[in-house]
Amino acid sequence: MAAQKQSQSKKTQAKAAASKRTAAPAPPASKNVNIVKNKRFNKTLMLLVVTAFQLLSFAPVTFADGEANMKLVYTFGSYIVAEWLYIAVAGAVAKSDDFQLEIIAFLLSGIGLAICGSIYDEYAVKQVVAIGLGLGTFTALTRILKSTDLAMLLRMPVAIASVGLLVLNLVLAKTVNGALNWIHLGSFSIQPSELVKIAFIFVGAATLEKLQATRSLTKYVVFSVGCVGALFLMRDFGTALIFFFTFIIIAFMRSGDIRTIILVCTAALLGAILIVYFKPYVATRFATYRHAWDFINDSGFQQTRVMIYSASGGLLGLGIGQGKLRTVFAASTDLVFGMLCEEWGILLAVLVVLIFAFIALYAVRGARKASSTFYSIAAVSAAGMLLFQLCLNVFGVTDLLPMTGVTLPFISRGGTSLICSWALFAFIKSVSFNIGDTRPYGKWPDIVPERRRP
Amino acid sequence: MNKTTLRGYALVPLIVAFMAGMIYLVYMFFVNGSAWSSNKVNTHIYTSGRITTAGAIYDANGKTLAKTSDGERIFNKSQSVRKATLHIAGDPAGVISTGVHNVFKSKLSGYSFINGIYTLKRYGGGNDLTLALNADACVAGLNALGGYKGTIGVYNYKTGALLCCVSSPTYDINNPPKDITDREKYDGIYLNRLFSGVYTPGSTFKIITAVCALQNIPDIEEMSFTCPGEIKMNGGKLVCMKTHGEVTFEEALNKSCNCAFAKIAMQLGAERLGATAKELGFNTPLRADGVRLAISSFDVSGTNNLDLSWAGVGQYTTLVNPCHMLMIAGAIANGGQGISPYIVEKITSRSGVTVYKSISKNSAISIDPAVAVKMKELLRSNVKNQYGDVRFPGLSMCGKTGTAEVDGDKPHSWFVGFSQREDLPLAVVVVAENAGSGSGIAMSAANAVLQSLKS
Repeated sequence: MAAQKQSQSKKTQAKAAASKRTAAPAPPASKNVNIVKNKRFNKTLMLLVVTAFQLLSFAPVTFADGEANMKLVYTFGSYIVAEWLYIAVAGAVAKSDDFQLEIIAFLLSGIGLAICGSIYDEYAVKQVVAIGLGLGTFTALTRILKSTDLAMLLRMPVAIASVGLLVLNLVLAKTVNGALNWIHLGSFSIQPSELVKIAFIFVGAATLEKLQATRSLTKYVVFSVGCVGALFLMRDFGTALIFFFTFIIIAFMRSGDIRTIILVCTAALLGAILIVYFKPYVATRFATYRHAWDFINDSGFQQTRVMIYSASGGLLGLGIGQGKLRTVFAASTDLVFGMLCEEWGILLAVLVVLIFAFIALYAVRGARKASSTFYSIAAVSAAGMLLFQLCLNVFGVTDLLPMTGVTLPFISRGGTSLICSWALFAFIKSVSFNIGDTRPYGKWPDIVPERRRP
Repeated sequence: MNKTTLRGYALVPLIVAFMAGMIYLVYMFFVNGSAWSSNKVNTHIYTSGRITTAGAIYDANGKTLAKTSDGERIFNKSQSVRKATLHIAGDPAGVISTGVHNVFKSKLSGYSFINGIYTLKRYGGGNDLTLALNADACVAGLNALGGYKGTIGVYNYKTGALLCCVSSPTYDINNPPKDITDREKYDGIYLNRLFSGVYTPGSTFKIITAVCALQNIPDIEEMSFTCPGEIKMNGGKLVCMKTHGEVTFEEALNKSCNCAFAKIAMQLGAERLGATAKELGFNTPLRADGVRLAISSFDVSGTNNLDLSWAGVGQYTTLVNPCHMLMIAGAIANGGQGISPYIVEKITSRSGVTVYKSISKNSAISIDPAVAVKMKELLRSNVKNQYGDVRFPGLSMCGKTGTAEVDGDKPHSWFVGFSQREDLPLAVVVVAENAGSGSGIAMSAANAVLQSLKS
């Protein structure tokens, strides 16, 4: 039944698309597609399951000291209420059931929130505010992305603002853990590089130049070199690597030119070799890499502790709040995967990170059917960025890759990182948009993606 | 079909790489989890590098050697038991690396891949270990050593159960001596000499030479040798304890005649002697229940006749690990097939379920059964005709003494042997450093320990 409905809806979509092609600009038929209910997915049921999981994980955190910590009760309570309110309101506005991504983001943010609360209740309060900001950014970005004209208009200002922010960062920054990537404003501190991640994809995907030509990349290459260069000056090599990887994905999506990509990678590799020669700070990280146990009490301290305590947790974990990794520096930020393993169990930790692989597959498949090339590029590059960052984090703290000190999206404590993760989900969500005008780039109808015939 | 949208599949290699990485990571946890979780910096188990929260260690009779109570590691009440079992039980900091505290740390923590160290966290203890050890025999052994440095090992040559393991010097874990760094007094105090020591074997090595002779010289038992007291060759001389005159093979072993065994060694040659030594576990890494034994070394390649003769009577550069010598005696006693000693009898989980039960494992040492039978008769003859059964009342003992010459000091006193009694299948090894003749301290200590195990 469901499959039949699905194929029917596909047919409707295809018909709509076909009519769009013949009768541009915006045929009214496309409106109907939007309200077709996704029968495979019931948002209420899914949110119920997520809420049940959250109640189970929030409970031991709230009652850690034997009696309820009221600060946490309010924090967790308002979070769960916010989830339901958002889905109810957004669902009513969009007349749709299509909220898989949001609910997954709620699930992941909730795990991060519980971990924050299990360390220090103030952390949870800050984190829930950050989730609110993230949700706000997500909603706003979704709006902007739906209007491709607005996206095109914002492209240049965003690019300029991003570079400006990074430059400002370089001027003002204080060194935190060997990287200069923080700006402190009173009691708040923000990590501009996280915000620029959003801009990086936004600018990269929304481009006015004609697509599928290597020369059209020039402006974006300049922007990318600016971003990556600034990150190098900040010594935030992890984020620089993430930007570089994302650049490769975007450049490939736009040009399809494998030779250029290989050329860029070779140049980058040479650059990396030069950096390792001239920056001893990077070289020490590579000295520890795959030898963490030889540096158990200095440069391998965090990695070995993650391995020791993750193993101590076993598949099923010691229980929230029962771990010892939490006493190690950066446990709830960079090393949060280890905390998940030790306290929540290796099994759950693996399932959580597998969600990101699932999201990436979702983006890749969605990209084929997206109503605009802009959305395809945005979704694939955002999903790639998330998954790549996840790899650097998870394999970095377990010494399978060099440790670069990047966060685990959604789970690591930290506002800017959380806002960025939510924003990236907006890009991924864009593959499901069904905008009336399928010609985001106005003048160039040849870039409109064709759909597969049923 | 638009190409741009399909290019998204460029992400698939990353997804595949990530999945492969995750599979590898979980595999690493599966393989290394036990070792990682029992690292000394794991504060679940260790406090400042010392095991504080872990299961108990009992001897075969249920005597507590170590346990955790209220987050403290507590040892046996009796000081003599603490001192006699120190090296086998080990110290909580794992300085005695072959001690149970160190070798079986992941068992003591109760680690499992599924639950991690949950039981330890939840109930304040891991698995309890019951050793094959008899603490009273260890006390008897330590007393019998009479203050000499050295070691005693006793094991059941049919099952492999290690009943006695003593290493001296030792100390009381509750009151470590202030001057423990005194090199002279406490040399190698953290070393379990049974597992980690190597000594010049002296005449106990004649067992190996005899086995080689029985294997390679068909009429060795009919041969007789003339002992002139010393043999001059290669610009040096091989000396005997005294001038034995004409001796048979059996008498040569009884009287431990160096001249006779030097002649046998020369007749056998370096190659065959080396081959037998290899078969009997020399130059080979051996293990006892996961504990790596110090490797016994025997190398006579390219030696002249004088060196070969000295090697044949257990001098020259040869070094033997006492536990290895015990295993050789055990193999002879067991009719040729050696059994590896084991330390842990059983492991019981927190809920009282036996999660591990010891099993007998063949060791790498095996001797032709016919040779083993003849060897047993020869070693029985040693006690019966030379040392006297009165030295081992009621034990039906077989054995060989050794007096290992060491540079500039009194010789090491060795005894290795076994009881032939069906109901007492025990092999014993004793080394008392610089204690003189093997028929002295070593032999009487061997008897003392076996007597304590007889009842």
